[in-house]
Amino acid sequence: MSTRPSIFITLGAAAILVAGCQTPVNTTEPAQPAGQRSLIPEKRVIRDADLNRRVDIRGVNERVGPAGLLTIQVELLNHTSSRHRFSYKFEWFDAQGMELAGPAAVFVQRQIEGNEDIFITATAPNELAKDFRLKLISTD
Amino acid sequence: MKRQILPFSLAGIIIALAAGCASDEAKYVDPAGTKTLVTLDKINQQDLNQAAEAMITSLRSKFIDAGKLSGTGPNGIAVLKIERVINSTSQQWDPDLLTKKIRIDLLNTGRVATTTTFGGDAESKIGQDLAKEQQFTGKGPGVLNPDYTLTGKVIEDMDRAGNKRQKTYVFQLTLTSIRDGLAIWEDEKTITKAGTRSGAGW
Repeated sequence: MSTRPSIFITLGAAAILVAGCQTPVNTTEPAQPAGQRSLIPEKRVIRDADLNRRVDIRGVNERVGPAGLLTIQVELLNHTSSRHRFSYKFEWFDAQGMELAGPAAVFVQRQIEGNEDIFITATAPNELAKDFRLKLISTD
Repeated sequence: MKRQILPFSLAGIIIALAAGCASDEAKYVDPAGTKTLVTLDKINQQDLNQAAEAMITSLRSKFIDAGKLSGTGPNGIAVLKIERVINSTSQQWDPDLLTKKIRIDLLNTGRVATTTTFGGDAESKIGQDLAKEQQFTGKGPGVLNPDYTLTGKVIEDMDRAGNKRQKTYVFQLTLTSIRDGLAIWEDEKTITKAGTRSGAGW
């Protein structure tokens, strides 16, 4: 008899805690966007399935600017309804596959709200950069 | 007997694994990684890394790749003078920790070089003297005038609610064209840290 109230109290407390962490985001945008993204084929290596659910890569598009620098834009979506913190880092490689390291090659902290869709963007350090790799890591 | 040994072995393995992840002993950490300290009361290396990364990304995309760069240096390279970054925070730290990363990255683009011989605050006095001598004797171009100057300011703000503290640092940088005196690139990066105490790792 005495266990039932304690179960309800526990469940109630858990529901309040979960609701406090939930941060779903509502959005609106043109039904037919004027800009068309040129999505590129990519190869993914998923070692953290939970992170992949919270920070899912929806698409990657690229652009080469007037000065010949490669710009990469990655769309990320949080499939859960709770906020998540993560870090990312872009690595750049030349035509021979050698890494072009520099002072900007650091993990950058970001936060994504529940069900939110965000973009992360990076521009190559110089025109020698032909390839890139994005690393994502959970920091929650 | 076998049943008793197994749980102890498993517990031992778990403790050893946990100890490997959470040791209090001093160790080297990657300054570009996610395991550096998060301090509430001061600007630290990762704040500077984050600010520099944001400024570098902005400079690359909004200035260099936008084709706005034009220089009068050798092979059309733009000459940059790091003028002054004002530290308006309550702490003493060297603004070179921020500007050095930016000038390294600009140099790596192959389109910008920083002058170390221009002005009263020239970093290389010997280089300045020799450049002036070469100009006097007609053996060289002398001290190159900068095409751009980099200036900035770092501002601090603090808030408190109960025992929770929030510290905000605002990094502002401006690139001014010497040709017309106009600010042709500006950006701002805000870093906010909140909590009750400092922590290790992000």
